[in-house]
Amino acid sequence: MSEPTAVELTGITKRFPGVVANDDVHLRVAEGEIHAVVGENGAGKSTLMKILYGMLPPDEGTMAVGGDDVRFTSPAEAIAAGIGMVHQHFMLADNLTVLENVILGAEPRRRGTIDRAAARSSIKALGASYGLDLHPDDLVETLEVGERQRVEIIKVLYRGARVLILDEPTAVLVPQEVEELFRNLRELKAQGHTIIFIDHKLEEVLTIADTITVLRQGRTVATVDADGVTAQELAELMIGSDLPSPSVAPHVTDDHVTLSVSGVSVVGDDGREVLTDIDLTIHRGEILGIAGVEGNGQVELVEALLGLRALAAGGITLEGESIGDWPVRRRREAGIGYVPEDRHRRGLLLDAPLWENAMLGHQTSRPFARGPLIDRPGARGVTQQIVDQFDVRTPGINTTAQALSGGNQQKLLIGREMIAEPRLLVAAHPTRGIDVGAQAAVWDRLRRARADGLAVLLVSADLHELIGLADRLLVMLGGRIVADLDPATTTPRLLGSHMTGAGRPGADTTASGPPDDPPGAESSP
Amino acid sequence: MSTVPLRESRVLRWMLMALGVIIVLSLTQELARPETTDLVSAGTAASTLRRAVPILLAGLGGIWAERAGVVNIGLEGMMVLGTWFGAWGALEFGPWWGIAIGIAGGAAGGLLHAVATVGFGVDHIVSGVAINILAPGITRFLSREFFSNRPGGGITQSPRVESVGHVDIPFLSGGDLFGWSTPDIFGWLADRGWFIVSDVFAVASGVTSNISWATLLALLLVPATVFVLWYTPFGLRVRASGEHPVAADSLGVNVYRMKYTAVVVSGGMAGFGGAFIAIEQTGIYREAQTQGRGFIGLATVIFGNWRPVGAFLGSLLFGFADALQLRDRTAVHALLLLAGVAVGVAALRALKQHRLSTAGILLLVTAPMLWWYAVTDKVMGELPPVTPHIVTLLVLVLATSRLRMPAANGLRYRRGQE
Repeated sequence: MSEPTAVELTGITKRFPGVVANDDVHLRVAEGEIHAVVGENGAGKSTLMKILYGMLPPDEGTMAVGGDDVRFTSPAEAIAAGIGMVHQHFMLADNLTVLENVILGAEPRRRGTIDRAAARSSIKALGASYGLDLHPDDLVETLEVGERQRVEIIKVLYRGARVLILDEPTAVLVPQEVEELFRNLRELKAQGHTIIFIDHKLEEVLTIADTITVLRQGRTVATVDADGVTAQELAELMIGSDLPSPSVAPHVTDDHVTLSVSGVSVVGDDGREVLTDIDLTIHRGEILGIAGVEGNGQVELVEALLGLRALAAGGITLEGESIGDWPVRRRREAGIGYVPEDRHRRGLLLDAPLWENAMLGHQTSRPFARGPLIDRPGARGVTQQIVDQFDVRTPGINTTAQALSGGNQQKLLIGREMIAEPRLLVAAHPTRGIDVGAQAAVWDRLRRARADGLAVLLVSADLHELIGLADRLLVMLGGRIVADLDPATTTPRLLGSHMTGAGRPGADTTASGPPDDPPGAESSP
Repeated sequence: MSTVPLRESRVLRWMLMALGVIIVLSLTQELARPETTDLVSAGTAASTLRRAVPILLAGLGGIWAERAGVVNIGLEGMMVLGTWFGAWGALEFGPWWGIAIGIAGGAAGGLLHAVATVGFGVDHIVSGVAINILAPGITRFLSREFFSNRPGGGITQSPRVESVGHVDIPFLSGGDLFGWSTPDIFGWLADRGWFIVSDVFAVASGVTSNISWATLLALLLVPATVFVLWYTPFGLRVRASGEHPVAADSLGVNVYRMKYTAVVVSGGMAGFGGAFIAIEQTGIYREAQTQGRGFIGLATVIFGNWRPVGAFLGSLLFGFADALQLRDRTAVHALLLLAGVAVGVAALRALKQHRLSTAGILLLVTAPMLWWYAVTDKVMGELPPVTPHIVTLLVLVLATSRLRMPAANGLRYRRGQE
């Protein structure tokens, strides 16, 4: 910490209607370090960074860059002061080329026109010196996610930034891309850049950061040295209490079969079989976990259960009734709840108010509807009930879903599915991309629902979640079920070996298993 | 795809394409003789160009606004303003001033649209429709105030106005150069009666002789738009504002200013189009004389995939159909043959690509068209006036190019909201 200060924020406070996003936040970043800012979703990390980048004015507090007091009214001023930001949702125009995206707002000119040759050579030069490989004339639309992130970084460097803010840069990357990004960041650091790194994946933070500042509910909780702290300690700082864990008390299984799937096969869009001869049963009050590397048929299984995909063979029975050829609506009315994998694309209408979102899937039944008409008071009443019961933190039920943090969106969604008291809940990655606090709430909900007799199909990439929550575990590989395991005696390593096909039932799994976390798995504390 | 470089190879390709089109038309005309002689002629070509100009200007106006992310369905209303202000300016100060004032009138409409959509976040369609309703009301009010007391004027029309004048291009079509009369090469070649060759030169002669200065100015706006939008920093910022305004803002681009400017330019172009109709095409302001050309201009934006040259081609197509129905209704009959053959070619192409159902449908369309052509001498009276619209529709349906509109087109943009 003997390095000179690159950025210092003192007493930053920012209020939004109904919420204090930042409350007297202090942050000091030394020059040439990688400084992580961690916190739950909604802890105020993004707001703080938007203030530093001039996108939002602070209500109180002062900022200093390189020792000089600054006050930014627009990103242009922050850029001029040498601060650049790589946004979580990429700020790239798809229909423009890499070059155009990079130079936008700072175009090299020659006689009034854009000097493309000069731009091309400076982008190539930047790419070469930081190991960021890019073709300036590619359309951004054709790039992979990792490449887009490199465009963002080049964009910032092109403007001469010395301080780079990266807002949850790993959220969209696969593990190999994360490694590549970390290599780039270390290279940048070696060349004297300062990096502010926002994240909530603690293992990543510990890998890359030198110093870590923890935010909780808009306040700075602590600034610690990355070498002297564990993920466990960080997580406790983040949520302010002992860590929740998905593990449960022993559970008595019921004999009543809620869902039974026999011999189900599904053919994909390209005519190849994506699910082959699936047999499974879920009993009343049982959570059945489905493990597998992504793309091994889990999506198709979920869609087949919901009726989104037709069966090529086999049958599905729910509570003794054959539902294999029922349409989606009828299945849902028969008592299937669904938590989709991607809540933004399949779960919610982001621009619609919460009460309308709460109606989705129930739009034909009371108290949401009365005959062909929507029953507004009824729908709003139930929505309020969901908000209260499931602890959805929102200013009101007229707020759009967009305005909620990921965790609160998920709580609303789960509340919506649970309020109708389904008999079977199909939950695909229910805790993906939400903070630890909301994660604990979701786990708690699932456990309570199980105690009330709900049957749950839980698809997850989080092996700790699967082992802690499920009563029985099935592993899918290549569209088939390849293992049936008891979570009580399963380790992530064993599970991982089944998922990759390395493990055979009864084989010696201690031999050369893959690492504990499969690709794509979210690390959990 | 985001650049439209004026590379020589492209210019050459377009010229070859144009040549191909003329040859096809010429062959069709040979097949259809003697009933039709006007499918390819200097007169039709000149008329096509004249009819295309207002649509082209509306199309360019649409491109300006939509590239900046503002849907401008108010082009029609802005054109209406252009017709009135153009005529008024021409009466008061002379035709060139008329054009300038017409542009200003359209730009004022554009400014109104910008204030509503960009400033206040009104839905673009709502604002555009409002302008389309408002503009004729304003012009009628103004006509009552300024035209009704003049000889030849009234609440629905102005006195006659003068045009800006015409020119023959020197050497190509016998224009004067410093008082010396150059030879009319195209005209001479067109009169030879050589198979196809003379047709080609007839068209060339039509578009280069007795051409309005205003037409030349309008044509210049095509490369000017390409240059500004694709080759200058300002243009890049305008396009970025239409593709991803939040990104542009995060890089210090003043998105509001870009959108305001682009929409005002858009209105100015539409106003020019309106002034052109009043001053050059008809020589009079008359109520409702735009006849929906603003909307057709919007269709050319889509047809041209939001690019100036594409919109230009679209406007020529429409202008051609329009010119034909005005000049020679029997030519429309010959067009049936052409359309039948074109659809037939498309069917064969689909067959070759093994898209059997598409091929089947196209063949089903081809057969009655050719049959209709074969058993009749002319088409019924109602058809010719709507030919341009049908042609536009057909081409939009058949256009197989992948259309890509600006990503943030039509979306409300508020700073600080994502």
